Amino acid sequence: MAAYCRSCIVNMQKAFQPVKFQSLLLHNIRRNFGTSTICRGLNGVPNKNLRAGKQKISINKDKPLTYEQTQPPNLIGVTKSWNSWNSGSLEGEREKNAAQIVFDDIFIRKFMYGTWHNLFASEVIIKRQYNQIIIAGLIEQSNHNNIYFLIGYTEELLSFLLKCPVKVEIQTVADKKDLIFRYI
Amino acid sequence: MSATSVRSWLSCRLKVFGDSHFGCVYSRPFLTSTNLQNVQENTDRRYVKYDDNIVETETEKFRVFEIPGLKRVQRERRTQQKKREYEAQPRFKQMLPDQDWTKVWPGPATFKWSVVPFPVRQGFIPKPTIAGGVPPGKYANTELIKIPNFLHLTPGHVQQHCQAIKKFCTPWPAGLESDQKCHKHFPLEVVTQDYCFSGSSIRDARARSATVQFKLSDLDLDYHARDKFIRLVGPRYNKNTDEVTLTADRCPLKKQNYDFIIYLLTALYHESWTVELWEKEKTLDDMEKYFWDLNASRKNILELLKHIHTIEKDLKLSPNVKALPYLPENLSEENLLALKEVKSYKEAVTDLFNEDETKENLKKYKEAVRTLLNIQTKMMSPS
Repeated sequence: MAAYCRSCIVNMQKAFQPVKFQSLLLHNIRRNFGTSTICRGLNGVPNKNLRAGKQKISINKDKPLTYEQTQPPNLIGVTKSWNSWNSGSLEGEREKNAAQIVFDDIFIRKFMYGTWHNLFASEVIIKRQYNQIIIAGLIEQSNHNNIYFLIGYTEELLSFLLKCPVKVEIQTVADKKDLIFRYI
Repeated sequence: MSATSVRSWLSCRLKVFGDSHFGCVYSRPFLTSTNLQNVQENTDRRYVKYDDNIVETETEKFRVFEIPGLKRVQRERRTQQKKREYEAQPRFKQMLPDQDWTKVWPGPATFKWSVVPFPVRQGFIPKPTIAGGVPPGKYANTELIKIPNFLHLTPGHVQQHCQAIKKFCTPWPAGLESDQKCHKHFPLEVVTQDYCFSGSSIRDARARSATVQFKLSDLDLDYHARDKFIRLVGPRYNKNTDEVTLTADRCPLKKQNYDFIIYLLTALYHESWTVELWEKEKTLDDMEKYFWDLNASRKNILELLKHIHTIEKDLKLSPNVKALPYLPENLSEENLLALKEVKSYKEAVTDLFNEDETKENLKKYKEAVRTLLNIQTKMMSPS
Protein backbone atom coordinates (compact mmCIF):
# COMPACT_ATOMS: atom_id res chain seq x y z
CA MET A 1 0.00 0.00 0.00
CA ALA A 2 2.80 2.33 0.95
CA ALA A 3 4.69 1.54 -2.26
CA TYR A 4 1.60 2.24 -4.29
CA CYS A 5 1.11 5.58 -2.65
CA ARG A 6 4.71 6.55 -3.25
CA SER A 7 4.55 5.70 -6.94
CA CYS A 8 1.29 7.59 -7.17
CA ILE A 9 2.90 10.64 -5.63
CA VAL A 10 5.86 10.35 -7.97
CA ASN A 11 3.50 10.17 -10.94
CA MET A 12 1.63 13.22 -9.72
CA GLN A 13 4.85 15.12 -9.25
CA LYS A 14 5.87 14.24 -12.77
CA ALA A 15 2.53 15.31 -14.10
CA PHE A 16 2.65 18.68 -12.37
CA GLN A 17 6.21 19.58 -13.12
CA PRO A 18 6.16 23.09 -14.54
CA VAL A 19 8.29 22.13 -17.55
CA LYS A 20 5.97 19.30 -18.41
CA PHE A 21 2.95 21.55 -18.06
CA GLN A 22 4.49 24.15 -20.35
CA SER A 23 5.50 21.68 -23.01
CA LEU A 24 1.98 20.30 -22.94
CA LEU A 25 0.57 23.73 -23.69
CA LEU A 26 3.29 24.69 -26.15
CA HIS A 27 2.44 21.56 -28.09
CA ASN A 28 -0.93 23.08 -28.90
CA ILE A 29 0.24 26.63 -29.45
CA ARG A 30 0.38 26.30 -33.20
CA ARG A 31 -3.31 25.43 -33.29
CA ASN A 32 -4.15 28.49 -31.25
CA PHE A 33 -2.16 30.77 -33.52
CA GLY A 34 -4.48 29.90 -36.41
CA THR A 35 -5.72 33.42 -36.92
CA SER A 36 -2.91 35.52 -35.54
CA THR A 37 -0.94 38.19 -37.32
CA ILE A 38 2.08 35.90 -37.30
CA CYS A 39 0.92 34.51 -40.65
CA ARG A 40 1.22 37.91 -42.24
CA GLY A 41 4.11 38.14 -44.67
CA LEU A 42 6.25 35.68 -42.74
CA ASN A 43 9.74 35.31 -44.23
CA GLY A 44 8.64 37.24 -47.29
CA VAL A 45 6.24 34.51 -48.41
CA PRO A 46 3.64 35.98 -50.80
CA ASN A 47 0.12 36.14 -49.46
CA LYS A 48 -1.26 33.77 -52.08
CA ASN A 49 0.97 30.96 -50.82
CA LEU A 50 -0.10 31.29 -47.20
CA ARG A 51 -2.75 28.76 -46.23
CA ALA A 52 -3.01 29.10 -42.48
CA GLY A 53 -6.40 30.36 -41.33
CA LYS A 54 -7.90 30.29 -44.82
CA GLN A 55 -10.98 28.16 -45.53
CA LYS A 56 -11.17 25.76 -48.44
CA ILE A 57 -14.16 25.88 -50.75
CA SER A 58 -16.36 22.80 -50.56
CA ILE A 59 -17.60 20.89 -53.61
CA ASN A 60 -21.26 21.77 -53.14
CA LYS A 61 -20.47 25.24 -51.81
CA ASP A 62 -22.53 24.53 -48.73
CA LYS A 63 -19.89 24.89 -46.04
CA PRO A 64 -21.21 27.40 -43.51
CA LEU A 65 -18.76 30.03 -42.29
CA THR A 66 -18.99 32.76 -39.70
CA TYR A 67 -17.79 36.26 -40.45
CA GLU A 68 -14.62 35.56 -38.49
CA GLN A 69 -13.85 32.49 -40.59
CA THR A 70 -14.45 34.19 -43.93
CA GLN A 71 -11.75 36.79 -43.33
CA PRO A 72 -8.21 35.44 -43.80
CA PRO A 73 -5.51 36.30 -41.26
CA ASN A 74 -3.95 38.95 -43.46
CA LEU A 75 -7.14 40.99 -43.11
CA ILE A 76 -6.89 41.22 -39.33
CA GLY A 77 -7.04 44.89 -38.56
CA VAL A 78 -8.66 45.56 -41.95
CA THR A 79 -12.00 43.79 -42.14
CA LYS A 80 -11.96 42.04 -38.79
CA SER A 81 -10.29 42.88 -35.52
CA TRP A 82 -8.18 40.92 -33.09
CA ASN A 83 -9.52 38.30 -30.71
CA SER A 84 -7.07 39.38 -28.02
CA TRP A 85 -6.99 43.03 -27.03
CA ASN A 86 -4.02 44.10 -24.94
CA SER A 87 -1.09 46.49 -24.88
CA GLY A 88 1.51 43.73 -25.23
CA SER A 89 2.68 44.91 -28.64
CA LEU A 90 3.53 48.45 -27.52
CA GLU A 91 7.09 49.69 -27.24
CA GLY A 92 8.47 48.89 -23.82
CA GLU A 93 5.73 46.36 -23.08
CA ARG A 94 6.83 43.93 -25.74
CA GLU A 95 9.95 42.67 -24.03
CA LYS A 96 8.30 42.43 -20.68
CA ASN A 97 4.75 41.16 -20.97
CA ALA A 98 4.04 39.95 -24.51
CA ALA A 99 5.05 36.34 -23.96
CA GLN A 100 3.17 36.18 -20.67
CA ILE A 101 0.04 37.60 -22.29
CA VAL A 102 0.12 35.09 -25.17
CA PHE A 103 0.72 32.24 -22.78
CA ASP A 104 -2.15 33.32 -20.50
CA ASP A 105 -4.49 33.84 -23.45
CA ILE A 106 -3.87 30.34 -24.74
CA PHE A 107 -4.54 28.99 -21.29
CA ILE A 108 -7.78 31.00 -21.00
CA ARG A 109 -8.98 29.80 -24.42
CA LYS A 110 -8.29 26.19 -23.57
CA PHE A 111 -10.02 26.63 -20.25
CA MET A 112 -13.07 28.20 -21.89
CA TYR A 113 -13.37 25.58 -24.62
CA GLY A 114 -13.18 22.86 -22.03
CA THR A 115 -15.40 24.39 -19.37
CA TRP A 116 -18.02 25.86 -21.71
CA HIS A 117 -18.00 22.76 -23.83
CA ASN A 118 -19.93 23.07 -27.10
CA LEU A 119 -21.58 26.29 -25.92
CA PHE A 120 -19.54 28.96 -27.67
CA ALA A 121 -20.89 30.12 -31.00
CA SER A 122 -18.14 32.67 -31.56
CA GLU A 123 -14.45 32.81 -30.69
CA VAL A 124 -13.36 33.59 -27.15
CA ILE A 125 -12.49 37.27 -27.06
CA ILE A 126 -10.03 38.32 -24.36
CA LYS A 127 -9.71 41.98 -23.51
CA ARG A 128 -7.26 43.32 -20.96
CA GLN A 129 -7.96 46.61 -19.25
CA TYR A 130 -5.93 47.97 -16.35
CA ASN A 131 -5.43 44.93 -14.12
CA GLN A 132 -8.50 43.03 -15.21
CA ILE A 133 -9.20 40.49 -17.91
CA ILE A 134 -12.55 40.52 -19.69
CA ILE A 135 -13.65 37.37 -21.48
CA ALA A 136 -16.40 37.99 -23.99
CA GLY A 137 -18.18 35.91 -26.59
CA LEU A 138 -21.46 34.63 -27.94
CA ILE A 139 -23.00 31.40 -26.72
CA GLU A 140 -26.10 29.49 -27.63
CA GLN A 141 -29.09 29.89 -25.34
CA SER A 142 -29.56 26.98 -22.97
CA ASN A 143 -30.45 26.32 -19.37
CA HIS A 144 -29.75 29.56 -17.59
CA ASN A 145 -28.95 27.96 -14.24
CA ASN A 146 -26.00 26.18 -15.79
CA ILE A 147 -24.80 29.41 -17.33
CA TYR A 148 -25.03 31.26 -14.02
CA PHE A 149 -22.91 28.57 -12.47
CA LEU A 150 -20.39 28.58 -15.33
CA ILE A 151 -19.95 32.34 -15.18
CA GLY A 152 -19.30 32.27 -11.45
CA TYR A 153 -17.09 29.22 -11.67
CA THR A 154 -15.01 30.64 -14.52
CA GLU A 155 -14.59 34.06 -12.90
CA GLU A 156 -13.63 32.57 -9.56
CA LEU A 157 -11.23 29.97 -10.86
CA LEU A 158 -9.52 32.13 -13.48
CA SER A 159 -9.17 35.02 -11.02
CA PHE A 160 -7.46 32.64 -8.67
CA LEU A 161 -5.21 31.12 -11.32
CA LEU A 162 -4.25 34.35 -13.08
CA LYS A 163 -4.15 36.38 -9.85
CA CYS A 164 -6.13 39.30 -11.27
CA PRO A 165 -9.85 40.12 -11.59
CA VAL A 166 -11.49 38.20 -14.43
CA LYS A 167 -14.89 39.19 -15.78
CA VAL A 168 -17.00 37.02 -18.07
CA GLU A 169 -19.26 39.07 -20.34
CA ILE A 170 -21.29 36.49 -22.21
CA GLN A 171 -24.14 37.14 -24.62
CA THR A 172 -26.52 34.71 -26.17
CA VAL A 173 -27.86 33.95 -29.60
CA ALA A 174 -30.87 31.75 -30.27
CA ASP A 175 -28.95 29.45 -32.54
CA LYS A 176 -25.35 28.91 -33.55
CA LYS A 177 -26.54 29.12 -37.15
CA ASP A 178 -27.34 32.78 -36.62
CA LEU A 179 -23.64 33.50 -36.90
CA ILE A 180 -23.41 32.08 -40.41
CA PHE A 181 -22.20 34.78 -42.77
CA ARG A 182 -21.86 32.90 -46.04
CA TYR A 183 -21.54 29.45 -47.57
CA ILE A 184 -18.48 28.47 -49.56
CA MET B 1 -50.68 37.80 -25.82
CA SER B 2 -50.14 35.60 -22.88
CA ALA B 3 -48.05 37.30 -20.29
CA THR B 4 -46.18 34.22 -19.24
CA SER B 5 -42.86 35.11 -17.83
CA VAL B 6 -40.01 33.59 -19.75
CA ARG B 7 -36.95 32.66 -17.78
CA SER B 8 -34.35 35.02 -18.94
CA TRP B 9 -30.73 35.14 -18.08
CA LEU B 10 -30.03 37.19 -21.10
CA SER B 11 -28.17 40.47 -20.82
CA CYS B 12 -29.06 42.27 -17.63
CA ARG B 13 -30.62 39.24 -16.00
CA LEU B 14 -33.98 40.94 -15.78
CA LYS B 15 -37.22 39.12 -15.68
CA VAL B 16 -38.81 40.01 -18.97
CA PHE B 17 -42.21 39.24 -20.39
CA GLY B 18 -42.12 37.60 -23.75
CA ASP B 19 -44.51 36.39 -26.34
CA SER B 20 -44.96 32.65 -26.31
CA HIS B 21 -45.19 32.76 -30.10
CA PHE B 22 -41.99 34.65 -30.41
CA GLY B 23 -40.23 33.71 -33.58
CA CYS B 24 -43.40 33.44 -35.62
CA VAL B 25 -43.71 37.20 -35.72
CA TYR B 26 -40.76 37.55 -38.03
CA SER B 27 -41.22 35.66 -41.25
CA ARG B 28 -40.41 35.59 -44.91
CA PRO B 29 -42.96 38.14 -46.28
CA PHE B 30 -40.94 41.04 -44.94
CA LEU B 31 -38.13 40.35 -47.32
CA THR B 32 -39.30 42.48 -50.20
CA SER B 33 -35.94 43.88 -51.19
CA THR B 34 -34.75 42.37 -54.48
CA ASN B 35 -31.22 41.74 -53.38
CA LEU B 36 -32.41 39.66 -50.48
CA GLN B 37 -34.35 37.17 -52.56
CA ASN B 38 -31.48 34.99 -53.66
CA VAL B 39 -30.09 34.58 -50.21
CA GLN B 40 -30.36 31.19 -48.64
CA GLU B 41 -32.88 30.44 -45.99
CA ASN B 42 -30.44 30.29 -43.10
CA THR B 43 -28.92 33.60 -43.95
CA ASP B 44 -32.39 35.13 -44.15
CA ARG B 45 -33.28 34.06 -40.71
CA ARG B 46 -30.36 35.86 -39.24
CA TYR B 47 -31.13 39.16 -40.87
CA VAL B 48 -34.85 39.01 -40.34
CA LYS B 49 -34.80 38.13 -36.74
CA TYR B 50 -33.53 41.26 -35.07
CA ASP B 51 -33.11 43.48 -38.02
CA ASP B 52 -33.67 47.05 -37.03
CA ASN B 53 -35.07 48.20 -40.33
CA ILE B 54 -37.92 45.72 -40.38
CA VAL B 55 -41.03 46.94 -38.66
CA GLU B 56 -43.34 44.55 -36.94
CA THR B 57 -46.63 44.85 -38.76
CA GLU B 58 -47.75 41.25 -38.37
CA THR B 59 -49.90 42.04 -35.36
CA GLU B 60 -51.77 44.78 -37.23
CA LYS B 61 -52.86 42.42 -40.03
CA PHE B 62 -56.43 41.25 -40.38
CA ARG B 63 -56.75 38.01 -38.53
CA VAL B 64 -58.14 35.17 -40.60
CA PHE B 65 -60.14 32.51 -38.85
CA GLU B 66 -58.58 29.15 -39.47
CA ILE B 67 -60.69 26.03 -39.01
CA PRO B 68 -58.78 23.60 -36.85
CA GLY B 69 -57.82 20.45 -38.70
CA LEU B 70 -58.55 21.83 -42.15
CA LYS B 71 -54.96 22.71 -42.91
CA ARG B 72 -52.01 20.52 -42.16
CA VAL B 73 -50.10 22.05 -39.30
CA GLN B 74 -46.40 21.54 -39.16
CA ARG B 75 -45.52 20.64 -35.63
CA GLU B 76 -42.37 21.75 -33.99
CA ARG B 77 -39.95 19.20 -32.80
CA ARG B 78 -39.62 18.83 -29.10
CA THR B 79 -35.99 19.98 -29.15
CA GLN B 80 -36.98 23.12 -31.00
CA GLN B 81 -39.81 23.73 -28.55
CA LYS B 82 -37.41 23.38 -25.70
CA LYS B 83 -34.95 25.69 -27.32
CA ARG B 84 -37.61 28.32 -27.85
CA GLU B 85 -38.44 28.11 -24.17
CA TYR B 86 -35.10 29.78 -23.37
CA GLU B 87 -35.43 32.37 -26.03
CA ALA B 88 -36.12 35.70 -24.43
CA GLN B 89 -37.33 38.99 -25.77
CA PRO B 90 -34.33 41.29 -26.15
CA ARG B 91 -34.31 44.21 -23.80
CA PHE B 92 -34.17 46.90 -26.46
CA LYS B 93 -37.63 45.89 -27.61
CA GLN B 94 -39.12 46.99 -24.30
CA MET B 95 -37.30 50.28 -23.97
CA LEU B 96 -39.12 53.57 -23.85
CA PRO B 97 -37.85 56.43 -26.01
CA ASP B 98 -37.46 58.71 -22.97
CA GLN B 99 -35.74 56.21 -20.73
CA ASP B 100 -32.67 57.03 -18.63
CA TRP B 101 -29.76 55.53 -20.57
CA THR B 102 -27.44 55.77 -17.57
CA LYS B 103 -29.64 53.23 -15.79
CA VAL B 104 -29.47 50.85 -18.75
CA TRP B 105 -25.72 51.15 -19.28
CA PRO B 106 -24.25 52.19 -15.92
CA GLY B 107 -20.59 51.40 -16.55
CA PRO B 108 -18.10 50.27 -19.15
CA ALA B 109 -19.21 46.99 -20.70
CA THR B 110 -18.92 44.92 -23.83
CA PHE B 111 -21.38 45.79 -26.59
CA LYS B 112 -24.65 43.91 -26.08
CA TRP B 113 -26.87 43.53 -29.11
CA SER B 114 -29.89 42.90 -26.92
CA VAL B 115 -29.54 46.15 -24.98
CA VAL B 116 -28.36 48.73 -27.50
CA PRO B 117 -31.53 50.23 -28.98
CA PHE B 118 -30.11 51.91 -32.08
CA PRO B 119 -29.37 50.18 -35.40
CA VAL B 120 -25.67 49.59 -36.02
CA ARG B 121 -23.78 47.45 -38.49
CA GLN B 122 -20.19 46.35 -38.74
CA GLY B 123 -18.46 44.12 -41.25
CA PHE B 124 -17.20 43.95 -44.79
CA ILE B 125 -19.10 42.32 -47.62
CA PRO B 126 -16.93 41.56 -50.65
CA LYS B 127 -19.88 41.06 -53.01
CA PRO B 128 -23.50 42.34 -52.96
CA THR B 129 -24.76 38.75 -53.21
CA ILE B 130 -23.25 37.86 -49.85
CA ALA B 131 -25.23 38.25 -46.64
CA GLY B 132 -28.10 40.07 -48.25
CA GLY B 133 -25.91 42.84 -49.63
CA VAL B 134 -25.68 44.67 -46.33
CA PRO B 135 -23.00 44.54 -43.63
CA PRO B 136 -23.93 42.35 -40.67
CA GLY B 137 -26.24 43.98 -38.14
CA LYS B 138 -25.77 44.06 -34.42
CA TYR B 139 -27.36 40.65 -33.76
CA ALA B 140 -24.78 37.88 -33.41
CA ASN B 141 -22.02 40.23 -34.56
CA THR B 142 -18.69 39.31 -33.01
CA GLU B 143 -16.91 42.33 -34.44
CA LEU B 144 -19.00 44.69 -32.32
CA ILE B 145 -18.12 42.70 -29.21
CA LYS B 146 -14.42 43.04 -29.89
CA ILE B 147 -14.15 46.77 -30.31
CA PRO B 148 -14.19 49.23 -27.40
CA ASN B 149 -17.30 51.35 -27.04
CA PHE B 150 -18.15 54.60 -25.29
CA LEU B 151 -21.76 53.86 -24.41
CA HIS B 152 -20.87 54.46 -20.75
CA LEU B 153 -19.55 57.97 -21.44
CA THR B 154 -22.57 59.84 -22.78
CA PRO B 155 -23.12 63.45 -21.61
CA GLY B 156 -25.65 62.12 -19.10
CA HIS B 157 -23.07 59.75 -17.61
CA VAL B 158 -20.42 62.45 -17.38
CA GLN B 159 -22.85 64.80 -15.68
CA GLN B 160 -23.74 62.15 -13.12
CA HIS B 161 -20.08 61.37 -12.51
CA CYS B 162 -19.38 65.05 -11.95
CA GLN B 163 -22.30 65.37 -9.55
CA ALA B 164 -21.11 62.32 -7.64
CA ILE B 165 -17.53 63.49 -7.17
CA LYS B 166 -18.43 67.12 -6.54
CA LYS B 167 -18.59 66.58 -2.79
CA PHE B 168 -14.95 65.49 -2.75
CA CYS B 169 -13.75 68.62 -4.53
CA THR B 170 -12.01 71.38 -2.53
CA PRO B 171 -11.38 74.96 -3.68
CA TRP B 172 -8.14 75.72 -5.45
CA PRO B 173 -5.52 76.76 -2.86
CA ALA B 174 -5.16 80.53 -2.51
CA GLY B 175 -1.84 81.93 -3.68
CA LEU B 176 -1.37 79.37 -6.43
CA GLU B 177 -3.38 81.09 -9.13
CA SER B 178 -0.71 81.26 -11.81
CA ASP B 179 2.04 78.94 -13.03
CA GLN B 180 4.69 81.38 -11.82
CA LYS B 181 3.29 81.26 -8.27
CA CYS B 182 3.10 77.45 -8.35
CA HIS B 183 6.70 77.31 -9.50
CA LYS B 184 7.79 79.71 -6.78
CA HIS B 185 6.26 77.61 -3.99
CA PHE B 186 6.98 74.19 -5.49
CA PRO B 187 10.24 74.47 -7.41
CA LEU B 188 10.93 70.71 -7.45
CA GLU B 189 9.09 68.55 -9.97
CA VAL B 190 9.12 64.84 -9.16
CA VAL B 191 8.17 62.36 -11.89
CA THR B 192 7.48 58.70 -11.08
CA GLN B 193 5.62 56.01 -12.99
CA ASP B 194 3.24 53.26 -11.95
CA TYR B 195 2.46 50.31 -14.17
CA CYS B 196 -0.71 48.26 -14.26
CA PHE B 197 -0.69 44.77 -15.71
CA SER B 198 -3.46 42.21 -16.01
CA GLY B 199 -1.39 39.18 -15.20
CA SER B 200 -0.08 37.02 -12.46
CA SER B 201 2.50 39.55 -11.27
CA ILE B 202 1.89 43.17 -10.37
CA ARG B 203 5.60 43.89 -10.05
CA ASP B 204 7.25 46.02 -12.69
CA ALA B 205 10.93 46.86 -12.62
CA ARG B 206 10.33 50.06 -14.56
CA ALA B 207 8.28 51.52 -11.70
CA ARG B 208 11.33 51.95 -9.47
CA SER B 209 12.89 54.90 -11.29
CA ALA B 210 12.34 58.46 -10.09
CA THR B 211 13.10 61.79 -11.76
CA VAL B 212 13.51 65.23 -10.17
CA GLN B 213 13.50 68.40 -12.26
CA PHE B 214 14.22 71.95 -11.16
CA LYS B 215 15.48 75.24 -12.52
CA LEU B 216 19.08 76.05 -11.72
CA SER B 217 18.15 79.67 -11.09
CA ASP B 218 16.07 78.53 -8.09
CA LEU B 219 19.22 77.43 -6.26
CA ASP B 220 21.19 80.01 -4.29
CA LEU B 221 24.50 79.93 -6.21
CA ASP B 222 27.18 82.51 -7.04
CA TYR B 223 29.04 82.56 -10.37
CA HIS B 224 31.68 80.03 -9.33
CA ALA B 225 29.19 77.67 -7.64
CA ARG B 226 26.85 77.80 -10.61
CA ASP B 227 29.66 77.06 -13.03
CA LYS B 228 30.86 74.18 -10.88
CA PHE B 229 27.32 72.82 -10.54
CA ILE B 230 26.87 72.80 -14.32
CA ARG B 231 30.25 71.07 -14.75
CA LEU B 232 29.30 68.47 -12.13
CA VAL B 233 25.86 67.56 -13.56
CA GLY B 234 27.17 67.50 -17.13
CA PRO B 235 24.52 66.59 -19.73
CA ARG B 236 21.75 66.63 -17.10
CA TYR B 237 21.66 70.41 -17.39
CA ASN B 238 19.64 71.91 -20.23
CA LYS B 239 21.16 75.24 -21.21
CA ASN B 240 18.15 76.43 -23.17
CA THR B 241 15.56 75.90 -20.43
CA ASP B 242 17.95 76.29 -17.45
CA GLU B 243 16.60 72.99 -16.11
CA VAL B 244 18.44 70.23 -14.31
CA THR B 245 17.03 66.68 -14.59
CA LEU B 246 18.24 64.06 -12.16
CA THR B 247 17.11 60.46 -12.71
CA ALA B 248 17.89 57.41 -10.58
CA ASP B 249 16.97 53.75 -10.93
CA ARG B 250 19.85 52.11 -9.10
CA CYS B 251 17.86 51.19 -5.99
CA PRO B 252 15.14 48.52 -6.00
CA LEU B 253 12.37 50.80 -4.72
CA LYS B 254 10.92 54.09 -5.90
CA LYS B 255 11.22 55.72 -2.48
CA GLN B 256 14.88 54.76 -2.22
CA ASN B 257 15.60 56.21 -5.64
CA TYR B 258 13.82 59.45 -4.75
CA ASP B 259 15.78 59.68 -1.50
CA PHE B 260 18.98 59.09 -3.41
CA ILE B 261 18.19 61.97 -5.79
CA ILE B 262 17.52 64.32 -2.88
CA TYR B 263 20.79 63.25 -1.29
CA LEU B 264 22.53 63.77 -4.62
CA LEU B 265 21.05 67.26 -4.95
CA THR B 266 22.23 68.21 -1.45
CA ALA B 267 25.72 66.88 -2.11
CA LEU B 268 25.91 68.71 -5.46
CA TYR B 269 24.83 71.99 -3.90
CA HIS B 270 27.39 71.91 -1.11
CA GLU B 271 30.13 70.63 -3.39
CA SER B 272 29.51 73.54 -5.76
CA TRP B 273 30.10 76.09 -3.02
CA THR B 274 33.45 74.65 -1.94
CA VAL B 275 36.56 76.01 -3.66
CA GLU B 276 39.36 73.49 -3.83
CA LEU B 277 43.03 74.43 -3.93
CA TRP B 278 43.53 73.07 -7.40
CA GLU B 279 40.77 75.30 -8.75
CA LYS B 280 43.20 78.25 -8.51
CA GLU B 281 45.34 76.59 -11.16
CA LYS B 282 42.67 77.31 -13.75
CA THR B 283 44.31 78.56 -16.94
CA LEU B 284 42.87 80.47 -19.89
CA ASP B 285 42.17 77.18 -21.68
CA ASP B 286 40.00 75.96 -18.78
CA MET B 287 37.71 78.96 -18.93
CA GLU B 288 34.10 78.14 -19.63
CA LYS B 289 33.76 81.33 -21.71
CA TYR B 290 35.66 84.35 -23.02
CA PHE B 291 36.77 86.90 -20.44
CA TRP B 292 38.07 90.11 -22.02
CA ASP B 293 39.90 91.18 -18.88
CA LEU B 294 42.04 88.04 -18.89
CA ASN B 295 42.74 87.93 -22.59
CA ALA B 296 45.29 89.59 -24.89
CA SER B 297 42.67 91.92 -26.36
CA ARG B 298 42.67 94.07 -23.23
CA LYS B 299 46.41 94.40 -23.19
CA ASN B 300 46.57 95.21 -26.91
CA ILE B 301 43.91 97.90 -26.73
CA LEU B 302 45.50 99.61 -23.77
CA GLU B 303 48.91 99.54 -25.44
CA LEU B 304 47.47 100.88 -28.69
CA LEU B 305 45.74 103.78 -26.99
CA LYS B 306 48.87 104.62 -25.05
CA HIS B 307 50.93 104.42 -28.24
CA ILE B 308 48.60 106.78 -30.12
CA HIS B 309 48.72 109.14 -27.18
CA THR B 310 52.52 109.25 -27.18
CA ILE B 311 52.66 109.88 -30.95
CA GLU B 312 50.19 112.74 -30.60
CA LYS B 313 52.22 114.12 -27.72
CA ASP B 314 55.44 113.95 -29.73
CA LEU B 315 53.87 115.73 -32.71
CA LYS B 316 52.36 118.34 -30.36
CA LEU B 317 49.08 118.44 -32.18
CA SER B 318 46.33 120.81 -31.11
CA PRO B 319 43.23 119.19 -29.53
CA ASN B 320 41.14 120.03 -32.62
CA VAL B 321 43.15 117.81 -34.93
CA LYS B 322 43.81 114.99 -32.48
CA ALA B 323 43.02 111.52 -33.79
CA LEU B 324 41.38 110.44 -30.54
CA PRO B 325 39.93 113.52 -28.84
CA TYR B 326 38.29 111.47 -26.06
CA LEU B 327 41.59 110.35 -24.52
CA PRO B 328 42.26 111.90 -21.09
CA GLU B 329 45.57 113.35 -20.05
CA ASN B 330 46.15 110.76 -17.35
CA LEU B 331 46.37 107.39 -19.08
CA SER B 332 46.09 105.09 -16.07
CA GLU B 333 44.45 101.70 -16.64
CA GLU B 334 41.43 102.65 -14.53
CA ASN B 335 40.86 105.80 -16.53
CA LEU B 336 41.15 104.01 -19.82
CA LEU B 337 38.86 101.16 -18.78
CA ALA B 338 36.27 103.63 -17.57
CA LEU B 339 35.98 105.17 -21.02
CA LYS B 340 32.68 104.41 -22.69
CA GLU B 341 34.43 103.72 -26.03
CA VAL B 342 36.59 101.02 -24.42
CA LYS B 343 33.60 99.59 -22.54
CA SER B 344 31.55 99.23 -25.70
CA TYR B 345 34.53 97.59 -27.47
CA LYS B 346 34.91 95.13 -24.59
CA GLU B 347 31.24 94.26 -24.75
CA ALA B 348 31.32 93.78 -28.51
CA VAL B 349 34.35 91.46 -28.43
CA THR B 350 32.92 89.42 -25.55
CA ASP B 351 29.62 88.99 -27.36
CA LEU B 352 31.41 87.95 -30.51
CA PHE B 353 33.23 85.16 -28.66
CA ASN B 354 30.57 84.04 -26.19
CA GLU B 355 27.53 84.23 -28.42
CA ASP B 356 27.86 83.72 -32.10
CA GLU B 357 29.17 85.57 -35.12
CA THR B 358 25.74 86.86 -35.94
CA LYS B 359 25.03 89.85 -38.13
CA GLU B 360 24.09 91.97 -35.13
CA ASN B 361 27.24 91.10 -33.19
CA LEU B 362 29.48 91.83 -36.17
CA LYS B 363 27.73 95.17 -36.74
CA LYS B 364 28.13 96.00 -33.07
CA TYR B 365 31.84 95.15 -33.27
CA LYS B 366 32.24 97.33 -36.35
CA GLU B 367 30.60 100.31 -34.63
CA ALA B 368 32.70 99.78 -31.50
CA VAL B 369 35.96 99.79 -33.49
CA ARG B 370 34.91 102.87 -35.43
CA THR B 371 34.12 104.84 -32.30
CA LEU B 372 37.24 103.59 -30.55
CA LEU B 373 39.58 104.64 -33.39
CA ASN B 374 37.43 107.63 -34.35
CA ILE B 375 37.05 106.58 -37.97
CA GLN B 376 34.52 108.95 -39.51
CA THR B 377 34.54 107.98 -43.16
CA LYS B 378 31.18 107.70 -44.81
CA MET B 379 30.14 104.69 -46.73
CA MET B 380 30.62 105.15 -50.44
CA SER B 381 27.38 104.76 -52.25
CA PRO B 382 27.64 102.33 -55.17
CA SER B 383 27.37 104.46 -58.28
